[in-house]
Amino acid sequence: MIRFLLKRLGWMVLTMWVVFTASFFLMRAVPGGPFDSEKKLPPVIKRNIEKRYMMDRPLLEQYWSHLWATARCDFGPSYKLEDYSVNDVIAQGFPVSASLGILAMTFALSLGLVSGVVSAVLRNSVYDVGFMVAATIGIAVPNFVLASLMIVLFVFFWPIFPAAGWGELRQIILPALCLGAPFAGYISRLTRTGMLEVLGLDYIRTAYAKGLTTREVVVHHALRGAVLPVVSYLGPATAGILTGSLVLEQIFALPGMGSHFIQAATQRDYTLAMGMVMVYTFLLFVMNTLVDLSYSMIDPRVEVD
Amino acid sequence: MAINYQVRRFFPLALLAACALAVAWVVSFGTLPKADFAFANGDQIQTVDPSKATGAPEGRIINALFEGLLRQLPLEQPPDATGNVPLKPATRGVADSYSVSEDGLVYTFSIRETATWSNGRRVTADDFVWSWRRTLHPETGSKYSYQLYYIRGAQAYNESRPEVDQAVEVELDDRPAHPSGQEQLFPRGSILRGILREVRNVADPAENGPAGNAETAATDASTADRPIYVVEIKPQKDGRVLWNQPGQRRVFSSRPGGSATSEGDRVERIRHLLPDFERTVRIRATDARTLVVTLNNRTPFFPDLVAFYPLYPVCRECIEEHGSPGWTLPQNIVTNGPYQLQFRRIRDRVRLRKSPRYWDAANVDLETIDAMAVKSETTSLNMFMNGQLDWATTVPNPVIPQLKKRTDFLSAPMLTVYFYRLNVARPPLDNARVREALNLAIDKRRIVEQVTSAGQQPARSFVPPGLRGYQSAFCGEYDPQRARTLLAEAGFPNGTGIPKIQIVYNTSEAHRDIAQVISEDWNVNLGVQTELRNLEWGTFLDTLSQGDYMVARSGWIGDYPDPNTFLDMFVTGGANNETNWSNTRYDDLIQTAQVETDAEVRMGVLQQAEQLLMQELPIIPIYFYVSINMVNPRIEGFSANIQDIHPLHILRRKK
Repeated sequence: MIRFLLKRLGWMVLTMWVVFTASFFLMRAVPGGPFDSEKKLPPVIKRNIEKRYMMDRPLLEQYWSHLWATARCDFGPSYKLEDYSVNDVIAQGFPVSASLGILAMTFALSLGLVSGVVSAVLRNSVYDVGFMVAATIGIAVPNFVLASLMIVLFVFFWPIFPAAGWGELRQIILPALCLGAPFAGYISRLTRTGMLEVLGLDYIRTAYAKGLTTREVVVHHALRGAVLPVVSYLGPATAGILTGSLVLEQIFALPGMGSHFIQAATQRDYTLAMGMVMVYTFLLFVMNTLVDLSYSMIDPRVEVD
Repeated sequence: MAINYQVRRFFPLALLAACALAVAWVVSFGTLPKADFAFANGDQIQTVDPSKATGAPEGRIINALFEGLLRQLPLEQPPDATGNVPLKPATRGVADSYSVSEDGLVYTFSIRETATWSNGRRVTADDFVWSWRRTLHPETGSKYSYQLYYIRGAQAYNESRPEVDQAVEVELDDRPAHPSGQEQLFPRGSILRGILREVRNVADPAENGPAGNAETAATDASTADRPIYVVEIKPQKDGRVLWNQPGQRRVFSSRPGGSATSEGDRVERIRHLLPDFERTVRIRATDARTLVVTLNNRTPFFPDLVAFYPLYPVCRECIEEHGSPGWTLPQNIVTNGPYQLQFRRIRDRVRLRKSPRYWDAANVDLETIDAMAVKSETTSLNMFMNGQLDWATTVPNPVIPQLKKRTDFLSAPMLTVYFYRLNVARPPLDNARVREALNLAIDKRRIVEQVTSAGQQPARSFVPPGLRGYQSAFCGEYDPQRARTLLAEAGFPNGTGIPKIQIVYNTSEAHRDIAQVISEDWNVNLGVQTELRNLEWGTFLDTLSQGDYMVARSGWIGDYPDPNTFLDMFVTGGANNETNWSNTRYDDLIQTAQVETDAEVRMGVLQQAEQLLMQELPIIPIYFYVSINMVNPRIEGFSANIQDIHPLHILRRKK
């Protein structure tokens, strides 16, 4: 397992370097710069500012100095949020996005697993049909449409949640529900399929033959096999939750990384955008590695390599 | 490595426990007491540093935190017919009075005795000298430093253009690192002062390697703007410079390497060589309470500039102790305005708390204010409707017709114009008749009534109406008949022979809708074919500044209430001209207006200039903006005005 982790680490460093290089040159190839505005600056003033951020140096020199700084986890000052460094922005934005993501994931997992198991065990019942219709709708409806609907319902029609903002638990529930809904639907269907397959296997029949109750069979024997597809889905799901939060953070005015990412890109805040790209790359890599690891923990047939 | 059964068995439990912990962390929110007043402050503010900020959201915060010599305040009178209350720079700021010399060049400000910083120190005239110097110093990189260019000597200092036989200040390259690891951004190295004797621009032969060496070529390019200076450094005694005594000849340059010139002089490495601030820039503190400023020309709007945040003071000892940007952190910052910074959360909110040290604290009613960073207009409207906000600064366009009926919806004309730039270097737009025809063929009333629909006024001039003592020019009403005649006269009857005209705009539904109406008008009225092209904001700005367009959507917000803020854009080679239009008579008129001493005559000259602009039409004005605000009726003291300025400290809760 140590070897597996070391190998992954090596790949991660390589991936991050490639991502860094590509983003660095792509960002600068896009027309427009961080200090452009509709009200143009006198050229001398613009030069003063560019000098301050080393943008008057040759591109390669900028590249090496940024790369060296990034390797030390120092992303430099933000060009647009001038009072903060990129590290400050990430430090403030990450907990917000993490809270949102964790809550959405918890919601998706708990709802998805329970409804999936119930659907499989009570196959073709009213519950099964109801859950599966709901799951299909959850997958099909984009999260921003769901968000508008939720706002109309739970903010104006039946005012139990605030419209937007950040700072108390009430404010995070709606965005987490909207973010988690499509994944809940997907997990529910995966669980149902997995469960149906497992319930037809010989060892389940043996368990029943030993006189165990349905509850014991499902929880102790069937579930472990049935959740394998769900576990492997968690990697892509994390990616989906990370990108999904970009839109929802805008709608619900949450000060998370998604808002920073979008703003940095549109405002040509090179350093902040780079910081965000690197953090996202890192997160995705780590989450995928964790999923691979847990896969081997759950299924004895899988050996990590 | 094999994973044993025990590990495998407890893994699901461990995972569950981890999940439970994570959720527990997520739901453990602290509670935040509600502020007395909360408003949507648009996008996240870039900075609270008055020298560096540029936008309106920053302005709202800085106006609460800091205070300049004068304050732009609404007059205490009912709104006029358009719904606006006039604004005036009042001596309700740090200055309790000011006087202007006969020729209008020398302003003397008297500083209020009760004005204090939040650290308890008195605000002095030296604070302004130091702050304005910081704004002007090239290293600060202030975007609004040109607001100080009206002051004698300021521009040369900001552009670091020292002149031979003039006093200069030299900062040696011996600046100590700031203890906090922050950038100082203000001279901390040894400063020498003297008279500049010679500037050598030629690259030093000693530095030149063999020809064809790529590295040398690069060095040459980078040293082109790093000349060698010969300066007569004057002796100093007890901190005073003895300007009348003979000095010592020394040679300086900011270029790296190269320790000697061909004549064998030792070249000392410097950070900056600037015109001597004390001797060339006419900002003087004659005593702790008196600030004297001398201008280049009579500038009737100088009081408006003084009341504009780039000219607000900052606290010297705070910046020197914490460095930049560390001094702007809530725990470090020292301010002199009605509010103090309680905390900031990036892209969430800025919490302001009433300052007990403010000289007029007795008249400040709101104890705490939340400035929320809400980017989306829809979200901000939702939060206003839901009672989370007391003031929404923008609303989505499509709902304006419904909102207009509400009493908490305030809308009034504003000092902002929406217009199209025409690139006069691109035929057929080089023909003034074609430009006039294009202008007359646009039904601007339809645009404001059907597209923008918030009460905007169709623009028949470039300078918005409502400026005191100014009568705007006129570029003609909608007249398709005459437009066709003009186009025929220009040699394009019924639009035959006119190439397809491309309209570029930055991506936005509102801009697209307007461009569609205009495109339709041109097609129906003139037979001119158009093509719409939307560009992402950064690309759009780049396209505009490179002149790579035919027709481009634009907007301009007046910086100060004077026609000059609109008209001086279009002088030949002006940074914001961008139309390739050049007219010597126009340049002369703008120049004349700048030195004209009689206010009425000056307005007349500016009006002539605008009339010329409206005949030549390198730009087509489309409509004048209106300010749009929704304000909770429990708040009083909020009035619409032409600059859309709303000081927070004059707002009150209704009793």
